[in-house]
Amino acid sequence: MAIRSKTFRESYYEDIKLFQTIWIKFWTVVFVIGLVLLPFFGDPYFVYLVNLSCIATVAALGLNILTGFTGQISLGHAAFLAIGAYTAANLVQRLGTPFWVNLPAAGIAAAIAGALVGIPCLRLKGLYLAMATMAFGVLVEYMVITWDGLTGGVRGMSMPAVSIVGYSLDSDEAKYFFLLSVTGLMLAAADNIMRTRIGRAFVAIRDRDVAAEAIGVNLTRYKMLSFAISSFYAGVAGALYAYTLNYIHPEHFTLLLSIQYIAMIIVGGMGSIIGTVFGGVFIVVTPEFIKMFAQALGNVVPAIAGRYDEEWNIAAFGLLIMLFLIFEPGGLYALWNRVKVGFRNWPFTYWG
Amino acid sequence: MKSQKKRVAVWGVAILLGLLVAGWCAADERGVTKDKITLGLVLVKTGPVAALGLPNGQGMVDYMNYLNEKGGINGRKIEVIWEDDQFEAPKSVAAVKKLIHRDNVLTILTTGGTNQTVANLDTINKSKIVNIPNALADEFFKPLQPYIFAMGATYEAQYQCIVDYIAQDMKMKDPRIGVVYAKKEYGKKGLDAIKERAAKYNIPVVAELVLPTGAVDASSQVLALQKENANIVITCDVLPPVITFLKTAQKYDYRPVVFGFNWATDDALVKACGEAAKNYIGVNFVGAWNDETPGIKLCRELAKKNDRQIQLTSLYVNGVGVAWLFGEAMKRAGQNLNPDSLKAAMETLSNYDTGGIFPPVNYSPSSHAPAEMVKFFKADVPNGKLVPITEWRKPK
Amino acid sequence: MASDVLYFLGLSMSGLAVGSMYALIALGFVLIFKATKILNFAHGEVIMVAAFICFQLVTVYRVPFWIALPVTLAITGLMGVAAERLVLRPMLGEPIFSVVMVTIGLSIFLRSLAGICFGHDNHVFPSPFPVESASVGGVVLSYAHLWSMAIAVGLMIAFFVFFKFTRLGLAMRGTANDQDTVALMGVNVKRIFALTWGLAFVIAAVAGVFLANVMVLNVGLTYVAIAAFPAVVLGGMESVPGAIIGGLAIGLIENLAGGYLDQIIGGGVKDVTPFVVLFVVLMIRPYGLFGQEEIERV
Repeated sequence: MAIRSKTFRESYYEDIKLFQTIWIKFWTVVFVIGLVLLPFFGDPYFVYLVNLSCIATVAALGLNILTGFTGQISLGHAAFLAIGAYTAANLVQRLGTPFWVNLPAAGIAAAIAGALVGIPCLRLKGLYLAMATMAFGVLVEYMVITWDGLTGGVRGMSMPAVSIVGYSLDSDEAKYFFLLSVTGLMLAAADNIMRTRIGRAFVAIRDRDVAAEAIGVNLTRYKMLSFAISSFYAGVAGALYAYTLNYIHPEHFTLLLSIQYIAMIIVGGMGSIIGTVFGGVFIVVTPEFIKMFAQALGNVVPAIAGRYDEEWNIAAFGLLIMLFLIFEPGGLYALWNRVKVGFRNWPFTYWG
Repeated sequence: MKSQKKRVAVWGVAILLGLLVAGWCAADERGVTKDKITLGLVLVKTGPVAALGLPNGQGMVDYMNYLNEKGGINGRKIEVIWEDDQFEAPKSVAAVKKLIHRDNVLTILTTGGTNQTVANLDTINKSKIVNIPNALADEFFKPLQPYIFAMGATYEAQYQCIVDYIAQDMKMKDPRIGVVYAKKEYGKKGLDAIKERAAKYNIPVVAELVLPTGAVDASSQVLALQKENANIVITCDVLPPVITFLKTAQKYDYRPVVFGFNWATDDALVKACGEAAKNYIGVNFVGAWNDETPGIKLCRELAKKNDRQIQLTSLYVNGVGVAWLFGEAMKRAGQNLNPDSLKAAMETLSNYDTGGIFPPVNYSPSSHAPAEMVKFFKADVPNGKLVPITEWRKPK
Repeated sequence: MASDVLYFLGLSMSGLAVGSMYALIALGFVLIFKATKILNFAHGEVIMVAAFICFQLVTVYRVPFWIALPVTLAITGLMGVAAERLVLRPMLGEPIFSVVMVTIGLSIFLRSLAGICFGHDNHVFPSPFPVESASVGGVVLSYAHLWSMAIAVGLMIAFFVFFKFTRLGLAMRGTANDQDTVALMGVNVKRIFALTWGLAFVIAAVAGVFLANVMVLNVGLTYVAIAAFPAVVLGGMESVPGAIIGGLAIGLIENLAGGYLDQIIGGGVKDVTPFVVLFVVLMIRPYGLFGQEEIERV
């Protein structure tokens, strides 16, 4: 058999297959096993960081569907997280419903809000849309603070841990498995949506909305749908956030959080599901690495030992976003692809 | 081939078990060795709120270093690891986990503001983190939280004292209170406490106005207060908006008596506002920077020795005070120092004097409540400082 | 009755005064948007950094204010050119979204850099303006506000003249309209971009110094720029007079809402009103009061 230099697809079925080659399947399985074993190796701090990454991934996934796939910029993503989180918290506190009701309910509440925001925003594009969603974010923040009957106002709301058949998931490890399975589910769902008619319609809108309409994509319907799906993800992420932190407060859902999610999808890769995962993990974990690096550097170069300041970390974060956009606009996903292709074609690699 | 696979599997399981056992063993002697005590601290270092966190944490670190120079605690030197939470709850939770599980600290002096401490409550109880929170909410000691020792005076108590002062000390003929508050926890709690207390004394609250932290100016607030003839203004805001308010009021030649609570009662206010601070009266639960009490003198010495450029001196004093209490408790806990003995030692602090930094501290196994006492300070504009005008007092 | 009128006038005047600050900020946004179609999210940081530079010059190096001001403007102008050269020029031809994100990255970077260089304390700017305020028939205005209003109006006229009658202004307008054509006509588009950024940063510096005069100076000064977004959208993102009028209008609306609605509805209506206005404007007239409506053809 000749050496396979590329994956060739011979039918449409192959093109939309979830696992394109046996190797992808293999590595996926290895990765999942690794994830399951992870809490036995890491301390609670590490596990907690992974938990945060999971939540970030779900939320960023929603934003990527809206921004990366459909091309609609949103600066109000945090607002939908807030809606989801407060929906879940209210359901638990008032009705005592279990998590498998709360998570979808949080998602649906956010999705309805998202669709409603989507309607007036249909006329807007680009920066104007960014402005409108930002204004929406500010308004939701104001509502959450003011409407204390429902949200606890500035005192915040507490939230019990998830409990499954009487067993409360209050340790970081237990939360980890819960978050991991929900995140896996959400990822699979997103991947599947993007393979269907809906996903392709989204991409068509992103690439040229007027042209998409000309070939029969109903703009109104699909833009609203994109807003709804994106907000659904944000709502679920908000509920997960509430379950993980066991406490929510209006100050958790600010413009800064929305910007963080944008940073995630940019660093990870716009319009890429796996890139979103990279981005989510990267943004949560990078500050740790920068810190470790700074401290290691301090051991080597005595002049900077002990001069580490958290501000440097944030500055490095800002710098990183800029560098990514300037030198690797496709994000980590493009980087990953290049390395992969480079290895596959080795030694005939063209590192263009 | 097959035996090799088996061998790998056996090794894998062995390493896994080894790690688990190692992790378990490391967990018991937390943060205390023969000659060293490791303590954690979670306080904001960056961003707009950093002005509050930095002097507070510096006070704690400087006092611990001072104890080290005096020979440490029962022969052990203290090391403080300070993590930044950027005033965000998820980051504070992460920092607490890192300090407990990775740095293996004995305890964490403070886990951030109210918001962050509430998010950490679970870990605090599970990991037995003896701490003095930097926020003044009554849910921290009502009902008793076993590892939280509240200190200072709650926002409610501070504002009750202020209204008491207006009603009983000022002897004003026709007091009309206007409230300027931020939509934050302290703002809401302060507003409610003022309204309730004022109703008791039959003093009218004629206006309630929001002044956010980043306000560009306060003219609509000042004009509204002027229109309602409020001759007393109580602010429930942190320092920058209070400065903005006082300067705006001066511009309109509006000169009511202005009250403020602990986050806005600092020499920095008088220095920043000058003449505009003439009618300012603030309450705080720490002594003033220029007091001649032994505790405050020590604060000044420490700041000078460590070359600290402190702006919010009251927070530095607060930090030194918190570290002082921990130092004393660790001393009392003796050789066998662990979270439980530290907690027990904290509970022996009864009528304990911190040399004028705090009002007398009273903790017991059944109560970790703060003293709920404040002093009133008045601006001394020519000298750019606050001078105390009362002794420690409680809400009546 | 008379007191009610006075109350209204007082609110309006102080609203216009705050609005003139918003106008100055909005002007910087508009300039960059006009020439490059970029919304610069780092504008607030530039405002803050400029205020700090001026503050350092005045307090640490004891430079008189009226000398420190032009020095600050020169430094920030250079910063603007540098930012364009290093950060934005590599992004030419990238989608708008990426370019906007670059400015967000820049804003994070600048903000923490400012924290490192200038610390986190609250400062009060040693104001060159008299503390007393001018009072006309019972309506009070501080000199700092009067100056900022005068400068906002002055700048508006200056820019109007600049865009209308100078070659450079013409080149800038042309660049904003169609980069390719203008390049074919012999305009150095890169130089125009650099100049635009420099100019916008200078205006940000003016706004920063005036803001520091009326507010408390700390790293949080950046957030004022977000409050100026509604002004930008209301006026139209590419209209210089729009920025000024939008700024004044938002200041006015905000203050009237604070003076009348805050007491009735309660709780911080003042601060969300501009965003409600923003939302409504975007729904009804997305291109703002003075912006150009874009007609799209495929």
